[in-house]
Amino acid sequence: MLVAASLAAAATACSGSDDEKTKGNGGDGGEVTGAIRDVSDQGKPVKGGSITVGLEAESNGFLPGKSNIANAGTSVAYAIYDPLMKINSEGELKPYLAESIEPNDDFTRWTLKLRSRIEFHDGTPLNADALKAVFDDYLIAPGSNLLGGLAGVTMEKVDDLTVAYVLEQPNSGFPYNLVLAAGWPFSPTAAKAAGEDAPAKPVGTGPFVFKSWERDSRLVVTRNEDYWQKDLPYLDEIVFRPIPDEDTRISSLKTGDVDVVQSLRQGTVAKLRDIDGVDNYEFLGNNTGISVFNTAKPPVDDVRVRRGLAQATDQTQLIDVLGGSGMVPVATQLFSPDDAYYSEAAAKKWYKYDPKAAAKDLESYVNDPERSDGKAPGSPITLRYDCPPDPSLNELTQLIQALWNAVGVEVELRQVEQATHISEALSGDFQVKCFRAGQEGDPGVTLYPIFTEGSPLNVARFSDPGIDEALAKIRATDDITERKAEVEKIVEIANENIPAIYAGQTLSVVAVRDEVKNVDGWTYPDGSKGGTSPNGTNVWANVWTTG
Amino acid sequence: MRLVLTKLPTLVLTLLVVSFLTFMLTSLLPGDPEVQILGPDNATPEARAQVREDLRLDDPIPTRYGAWLADASTGDLGRSYRSGQEVSEAIKERLPVTLEIGLLAIGIALAIAIPLGTWSAYKAGTTTDRAITGATFGLLAVPNFMMAILLILVFAEGFGWLPATGWTRLTEDPLDNLRTALLPALSLAIGELAVFTRLLRSDMIATLQQDSITMARAKGISPARILFRHALRPSSFSLMTVVGLQVGAIISGSVIVETLFAVPGVGRLLVDSILQRDLQVVQGIALVIAASFVIINGVVDLLYSLLDPRIRHGRLAAA
Repeated sequence: MLVAASLAAAATACSGSDDEKTKGNGGDGGEVTGAIRDVSDQGKPVKGGSITVGLEAESNGFLPGKSNIANAGTSVAYAIYDPLMKINSEGELKPYLAESIEPNDDFTRWTLKLRSRIEFHDGTPLNADALKAVFDDYLIAPGSNLLGGLAGVTMEKVDDLTVAYVLEQPNSGFPYNLVLAAGWPFSPTAAKAAGEDAPAKPVGTGPFVFKSWERDSRLVVTRNEDYWQKDLPYLDEIVFRPIPDEDTRISSLKTGDVDVVQSLRQGTVAKLRDIDGVDNYEFLGNNTGISVFNTAKPPVDDVRVRRGLAQATDQTQLIDVLGGSGMVPVATQLFSPDDAYYSEAAAKKWYKYDPKAAAKDLESYVNDPERSDGKAPGSPITLRYDCPPDPSLNELTQLIQALWNAVGVEVELRQVEQATHISEALSGDFQVKCFRAGQEGDPGVTLYPIFTEGSPLNVARFSDPGIDEALAKIRATDDITERKAEVEKIVEIANENIPAIYAGQTLSVVAVRDEVKNVDGWTYPDGSKGGTSPNGTNVWANVWTTG
Repeated sequence: MRLVLTKLPTLVLTLLVVSFLTFMLTSLLPGDPEVQILGPDNATPEARAQVREDLRLDDPIPTRYGAWLADASTGDLGRSYRSGQEVSEAIKERLPVTLEIGLLAIGIALAIAIPLGTWSAYKAGTTTDRAITGATFGLLAVPNFMMAILLILVFAEGFGWLPATGWTRLTEDPLDNLRTALLPALSLAIGELAVFTRLLRSDMIATLQQDSITMARAKGISPARILFRHALRPSSFSLMTVVGLQVGAIISGSVIVETLFAVPGVGRLLVDSILQRDLQVVQGIALVIAASFVIINGVVDLLYSLLDPRIRHGRLAAA
């Protein structure tokens, strides 16, 4: 009710406002708002001015292959670099810095042509040589953090402006890799000259030129006067400031210390909706909190236990604890209702909260003389649930413990620090862990590492011949209907076997003081409209300020 | 000079012990540093092996420590594997920020605690004393992160006098620097001033009962002169010790406040580095913290003798 009331107030306050609500699938949670776009009148573009952006975290650098560039870093990177490819509002992938990209018949060779007469900020021309130098010397160099997505990929120079990505295996979704770090060309000359300092001195082709960086305090970029897209960017300067605490980031937006903030916390999204004079650009992402089972470890190696626990989990209560009540739908798969690959059929089949049915499944395991944990029939199921120490996660795990206790499962909660948590997940030393799953991008790229046997990201240790076959088909075709059908098969197989239980889909937001305009108004070089800002990241070339 | 010479071996020994223990402890931390560095998405066996080799993680601890010590003794604390930044440069960038906030906090706390504690002692047992005692106990009970949020609500969101977050360097704009330093310093100062006031009050009450003070009173010397001229110095020993410890603990005490106010201090760097297993940086900062404790303790020893000449004379006599 509160959210609806504040939205109505915002709509009245902003005459001519462009107010939209997209409703997600309520599932068990009833009516939810999903992502909203609540913005003031945008007016005409204005040149000049400076804005300050409050980021959720600091990055350790901005060199693809070397630096860990998460959501906050991606926002900075989109000012300095141009992505070769970008996803539009329909979820379609289109060339941005690249002019075109074409596959061969079996999707093992992708030929990418660059736009001509583009230079990096240091004057180095953007051409096939530069792209290949970056690819060979940084992206696939030993120790590169992009080797996961680029495994078995090599690059060949075709002509001065054309390269070919050569793949060991067919992959029709390969160009999705070029939306993020692997597709942000940087000046190989500048990187070489900077040596070990290269991550702190990014030189790209983007709308803004890197000026200075004081770690944990501010990173300043200034207008690229020679930008290849005519009349862009509008702003003279952007200052990026990492403000890790959610509450003080909101305070800074209220007081005008910053003009823009990003967040992926549901509680923050709700608070930002209630602030006057703030425009909200929300995005309902595929990301969801999960309880992942180690399907190789008793007792969660038995599907009856996993199904029982799924039915014993009230997802609406989990969402409530995470602060997303009334805003985010319950997750039923690794795709949000706003994603093109979302499956209605799978959503309907996903387990409802039903403690009685849960108890039945669990009893069947408990009384089984052959039960996998080797305990005597009748003795209760015991589990260890690991999660990093964080106030909202503490509440979440305690709720899960209570829900599972209610159906007779004894749960030991164990707080484990993030680094250990990840190491244990990778090595398989756990029974159940809180985790996150689901990301934007091509399902052939995003699902492959999660469901492929032996992949480090297959934390659940779950694989299935049906999924392998579907993944191979997805990677070998660009027919969207066929791909959707195969994705649906994967989702259904996964949901039958329950390698994980979901919480709710994640809302992210870019919230701005209302003098900052056109935040989601970026366009492709051909003038066609771009997409929303996923996970609080943003493209800055088309943003202006009236402040 | 004598003091420096006697303290130097302690400093070197402490640094050796602390650096070795830090090395041991960071090596014993669970979780693989290379996975944390690469991120779970990219922790392929080849990439992991490469990072382990680069960081020499498979070498025995004494070998790694020996190599680190050899470099550190020449002033080279190495480079952060995550950011590529030189550790000494990272510390040099951030230490002034933490020190400024920490010293400003102690300054503010002392400026309020000395008159307040003295007055409270002078009025011992009265309503004023009880009010001050109650208020200081109240302030002690408020954790500094809560105080930080309260201060932001009042001074940044409410009055709009000071920025909620951010940092301007002293060299850039001194006035703006003070504006950005004030709220973080205040949120640290409030807890400290409560402790300082309590300590000074109790020591001062004891001093005020001494014969010399009774004599001064009998001579008709004004109360203010008695309190600040005759009683304050001998009542400051506990206060001085705690202030010294507080200065030494500036780095470790600043972590939460630096995160809340988004200030680029060394405390924030330390915690991030521990969480991200950036071991070179952890090692470098541990060294700085250990050195600062030893040095501050030396300075406090020196101040004791300035506060009470008997200590200096006692040492000379013993020599």
